[in-house]
Amino acid sequence: MEYEAVVGLEIHVELNCATKMFCDCPNRPGDEPNANTCPVCLWFPGAIPRFSQEALEKASLLCLGLGGELQPRSAFDQKVYYYPDLPKGYQLSQAHLPLSRGGGIDILDDSGKPKTLRIRHVHMEEDVAKLVHEMEGRVPVSLVDFNRAGAPLVEIVTEPDFRTPHEAMEFLKALRTQVRSVGSSDCSMENGTMRVDANISVRPRGTEQMATKVEVKNMNSIRHVGDAIVHEISRQSACLQAGEPVVLHTRLWDPDKKVTLPMRAKFEGPCVPDPTVPVIELSREWIDRMRSRLPEMPARRAQRLVAQHGLTPEEAGFLSAEADVAGFFEALTREGVAPRTAMHWLATQLLPAVKERGQELSRSPVTAPRLAALLRMLSRDEINANAARDVLLRLFDTDESPETIVGARGFRQVSDPSALDALIETVLAAHPAAIADVRRGQAKAMGFLIGQVMQASHGKANPKKVRDLLASRLDAPLNPAGQNAVEP
Amino acid sequence: MDSAFAHRNPDASAFEDGPLRGVRIAIQPNLSVAGWPTDAGSGALAGFTALEDATIVRRLRRAGATLCGATRMSEFGFGLRGSQAGVALQQQAADAELVLDLMGESRLAAWRAGVCGFKPSYGLVSRFGLVGLIPSMECCGLLSENLHAIRDILNTIAGPDELDFSLPEGETPDFPPRPMDPRATTLGTVTEAQRGLSPEQEGRFRASLDALARAGFSLRNLSMPDFDLFPVAHRIIGSVEASSCAGRYDSVRYGRRAPGARNWNDMYLLSRGAAFGPLLKGYLIQGAFFQFERYDAYEDACRIRARLLAEAARLTSEADFLVLPATDGAGVGAPASLAETYAQFAATAFANVVGQPVLGLPPPAGAVSSGIQLVGPRLSDARLLALGEQVLNLRK
Repeated sequence: MEYEAVVGLEIHVELNCATKMFCDCPNRPGDEPNANTCPVCLWFPGAIPRFSQEALEKASLLCLGLGGELQPRSAFDQKVYYYPDLPKGYQLSQAHLPLSRGGGIDILDDSGKPKTLRIRHVHMEEDVAKLVHEMEGRVPVSLVDFNRAGAPLVEIVTEPDFRTPHEAMEFLKALRTQVRSVGSSDCSMENGTMRVDANISVRPRGTEQMATKVEVKNMNSIRHVGDAIVHEISRQSACLQAGEPVVLHTRLWDPDKKVTLPMRAKFEGPCVPDPTVPVIELSREWIDRMRSRLPEMPARRAQRLVAQHGLTPEEAGFLSAEADVAGFFEALTREGVAPRTAMHWLATQLLPAVKERGQELSRSPVTAPRLAALLRMLSRDEINANAARDVLLRLFDTDESPETIVGARGFRQVSDPSALDALIETVLAAHPAAIADVRRGQAKAMGFLIGQVMQASHGKANPKKVRDLLASRLDAPLNPAGQNAVEP
Repeated sequence: MDSAFAHRNPDASAFEDGPLRGVRIAIQPNLSVAGWPTDAGSGALAGFTALEDATIVRRLRRAGATLCGATRMSEFGFGLRGSQAGVALQQQAADAELVLDLMGESRLAAWRAGVCGFKPSYGLVSRFGLVGLIPSMECCGLLSENLHAIRDILNTIAGPDELDFSLPEGETPDFPPRPMDPRATTLGTVTEAQRGLSPEQEGRFRASLDALARAGFSLRNLSMPDFDLFPVAHRIIGSVEASSCAGRYDSVRYGRRAPGARNWNDMYLLSRGAAFGPLLKGYLIQGAFFQFERYDAYEDACRIRARLLAEAARLTSEADFLVLPATDGAGVGAPASLAETYAQFAATAFANVVGQPVLGLPPPAGAVSSGIQLVGPRLSDARLLALGEQVLNLRK
C-alpha cells in the first residue's frame, strides 16, 4: 500500500524585544547565568506580571506579516505543569484566545505548482528557564538558568496542510524571511530563536482518515526538519505495514544518527485562564497603526521589482529575501543606475565582498550613493569594468569618493586615439600572425589583439575604442558578437 | 491567649511626616515589608523574608504611618481559622488593620471585633507585594473603629500602580466624595440575600432598615434569584486559581524541604504534602480536580460568574447602594471543613466574586438592630465611605 504524510508544524519564535515579556529584565538569555532575573521572572511570592507593550507590538507585526487576523480580544492562560524549569507551576500562554487567527504562506510544491500552507493561529507565550545538566565529580547535577525564563515568544501553529518534507522546508524558509523583514526576530534555528516541532502522521494515499500523530522535536536546522520528516514517514509507514499501531508520543531527532528516538508520552496539562494579566483588547485604530508600520513583504516586493525593473522572478526573489539587499538595489536605481547593472554588481561583486569581510550590507562603508557614483563612471566610459572592480574594493578601505580614487590612482580609461595608436602600433608589430588571422575573419584573433593592447595599457584602455581602432587599421569587419567580450 | 501579633516591628517609629502621621497600622504577614518574615500564615513559606516593600507598604510609609507589626493570619488568609484579625484593635494596640479579604474575611473579622470592615473595589488598591491565593477575588481589606481612618488610609494606598496593571487605564477613583443627601439616595435590598436569616436575625435587620428609612433614605426592594450561586461560583473558581497560585510553593527556594526524597518529583510531593494545613490542602486538591478532571464545570462557573457580574451591576443601577444583612459576629467560629467555611461566608462572598466595594458596619451598641453591609458600584469607594459615615452618625 502507498502512504502519504500529513504534517503540521508548531514554530516557536523568540521575539527580539529589549525586555522579557512580563518584567523589565533584559531579554538576553546568553548572558552570565541568572544575571537577568528579578522577583517577577523568578516568581517570588507577591510578584505580579506586567505585560510588555513591546512584546505585543512585535508579536502583532509578526502576525500581520504572515497574513493573520489580529483578534480584538485575546488573553493569557496558565498551562499547568510541574517541572524544575518552571518554578511557578504554570506557563503563561494563550491557549483559548490567541492573538491572531488565520494567515498563511505561499510556496511552490514539489512539482513547482503554487500552494498555500495555512496558519491556524499565532499565540504569545513566555519561555521557561533553561536546565543545564552537568557532573560535579561523579555526581550528576542539574542547574537552572533563569535568564531565559519569561523571554517573549510566539508560537505559530499551522494547519496540517503539509504532505512532503519539501513543503515544510519551503514554508520555514519563507516564514523566516517574512518574520525577519518585519523585524520581530532573526529566526535562527542554530541559535534557538526559531524552534520547530513537527506533528507527523501517515495514512493510505487517497484516504482522508485522521491517523495518530507523532510529535518530533530537537531539529536545529531547516534541513534537519526535512530529514526528520523523511525518517518519520518511512518509520511510521513500516509500522503500519507490519500491522503495528502508531502511538501518540514525542520523539527527538538525533542529527548524528539521522533517526528519531522516543522521548516520553505526550503530556497535556490543563490550561486555565490567568487572572493576573489583563485581557488584551485591540482597537481597530491600533491594529491599523500596526499595519501601517508593516514593511512591504518580500513576496509582494519581488512582484513589484519584476514589474517595475524588468528583473526575472529569480533575480527579484534573490533581492527581496533580505530587506537590506532589496533596499540597496532600489537605492542604486534611484541614483540612476540601470536595473540590470545594479543587480549584476550587487550580486556578483558587492555582496561577496561584504560577506568576505564579515560585514553587514547595511553597515558596510560601501553605501548605495558611493557604488552608484562608481557605476555611473563606468556607464559613461570614464573607467572600464576592470578598473571599476578595483575601485570598488578600495571603497571598503577609504572614505574617498570613487571620483577621487579614479583620478588619484590613474584608473581613468584611456580613450584618446593618439595615445592608443602608439600602443596598437607596438602590439601589431609583435603579432603579425594574429593580423593575418584577423584579416581572414577570425574573431578570436581580434579578441587576442584587444587583450594585448589592454595589457600594454595596464588595463586602462577603453576596450571599445581599441576594437574600433584595430578594426579600421586592419580593415576588418566589426564583429557584432564581439561586443559581448566587453563587460557591461 | 497568644499575642495578636506574629511579628512586631522592632522599630515602630515613623520616618516621614504626612497625612497618616501617628496612625498605627497592623498588617498581616502576607504583605511584603522588606526584611520582615512574610509567610502568609503557611508552612509553605516558612522562613521567607520579603525582598522589597509592597506598593501598599511603600505608600503607607511615605504618608507617615506607623507599621506596628503583622498579626496572626489564617493560612494564606483563607477563612478565619488561626486568624487574630481585629484583636489588635480590641486591645488598642493599633488604630487600623489591613486584612486580606478573599471571601469576606475582613468583614467577618470586623463584626467579630465590633468595628468597621471595608473591602475596596477590585483593582483599586495595588496587589504588588501581596502574597495572595485567589488573584481575581482577593483584595486588601481595612479594619478600624473609625471610618475617617479607613478613608485616609484608602486615600493613601488607592490608585494606579505601575507595578500592577489590575486597575484599567481611565478608571480613576472618585476622591474626594460628594456630601450624601439621604433624600436623594436610594438604598436597595435584595430579597434572596435575606433568605438564610433566622426570624430573630430578620427582625434585627428589619430594625436597621427602619432606622435608615426614618433618616430619609428611600428603600427599594430588589430581587436577584441567583444570589445563592455566589458562594458556588466562588468555591469553584477560587479553588482553581488557588491551585495554580500555590503551584510555586515547591520548597526549593524557601519553605521547608521534606527529607527522604529520591528525586525532584518526590521532593515536590513530600514537601508540599507537609507544607499545607488540612483546610488549604483540601481547597488546593479541589482546584486541581476542576483543572484536570472537570474543566467543563470550571468553564460553567466562569460563565455563571459573568452573568452574576451583570446582575450585580443591574442591582446597583436600580438603587444607588445596596443594604445587605451582616453575619452575626458572635457566631464567628473557625470551622475545619471547606463546606463549613463556605457556609460561614455565604453572606459575604458575593462582593469578591463581582469585585464591588463593600462596607461592613457593626451593630449599634446595645441596640436591637443588626450589623449591615453597604455595597456600591465598582469604584464608588469614596461615596460608599461617605454613606457609611452618615449611617454611623444616625446612631449618635
